[in-house]
Amino acid sequence: MPADPLDALRLPTVPIEPRSEFADGLLRQMQSVDAPPRRTTPTIRYFVTDLDEAVQFYQQQLGFELELQPNPVFAMLYRGDLRLLLSVPGAHQGGHTLSDGSVPAPGGWNRILIQVENLDATLEALHRAGVHFLDEQPSGVTVRQVLLADPSGNPIELFEPARGYHERTR
Amino acid sequence: MTTVQVRYIVNDVDAAIEFYTRHLGFTEVMHPSPNFAMLNRGDLRLVLSQPGGQTVGGGSALVDGRVPQPGGWNRFAVEVPDLPDKVAQLRAAGVTLRSDIIPGVGGNQVLVEDPSGNPIELFQPLRSEARLSS
Repeated sequence: MPADPLDALRLPTVPIEPRSEFADGLLRQMQSVDAPPRRTTPTIRYFVTDLDEAVQFYQQQLGFELELQPNPVFAMLYRGDLRLLLSVPGAHQGGHTLSDGSVPAPGGWNRILIQVENLDATLEALHRAGVHFLDEQPSGVTVRQVLLADPSGNPIELFEPARGYHERTR
Repeated sequence: MTTVQVRYIVNDVDAAIEFYTRHLGFTEVMHPSPNFAMLNRGDLRLVLSQPGGQTVGGGSALVDGRVPQPGGWNRFAVEVPDLPDKVAQLRAAGVTLRSDIIPGVGGNQVLVEDPSGNPIELFQPLRSEARLSS
């Protein structure tokens, strides 16, 4: 069989050892329980006192979709990549009462952030719908933001990027 | 692009950065001022705000004067492959656990507290449909 004339043009294959730092780093990353999985669904749990009212609120006012509501104390909703779990606290199964008897409650200040295109228009629509605001005067550094409350009093932050807003893209 | 953001109120941003990066696999995106930082973990972005002092931003007081505080029960969840192992690691590291391992329908969970007392739910799914990752 005649030699392939292209062989003269091919570069020789030279085996190389992978850099040990690279290999070690990769191994550490693969073995680490802390390494975030390649693809995750960011998941938030909020406690609510009235599940039906909350589900309706998140669907109608904030564009969430109901994924499942298998019982009267739990619902799962999605909004884009965000998964929101709603739990009714209490002594029942799924009520998240701790072994020391402490019962979760709605409220607090930790919250999800929802980016909107036009904050003023969104505010107007939410006002018309009678939504309760914790802080309705837009403020912020590189965003304009407001804080509203769901029917159980859980905070939700709406923001619209402003001058200087930085978003890392990948 | 990271699309899901959560804001936690913390009393000490530096201590919080240390906690979330060391124990829960977050990476620091920015820490442009002493009272604010932004961290990422996979598709979740966590912004940390320290209350008081400023008049704008996530830690600022409301118009009615109320000042945000850490704590409460609302939280984000982090999936772990081996909950008992992770709990043992965190206990050894001196991290505060608000609960023991709680058996659930879709999986087992435990509530961990950051240095300011904010809860984080560690979750090990027992059913494939309850998994947070793919």
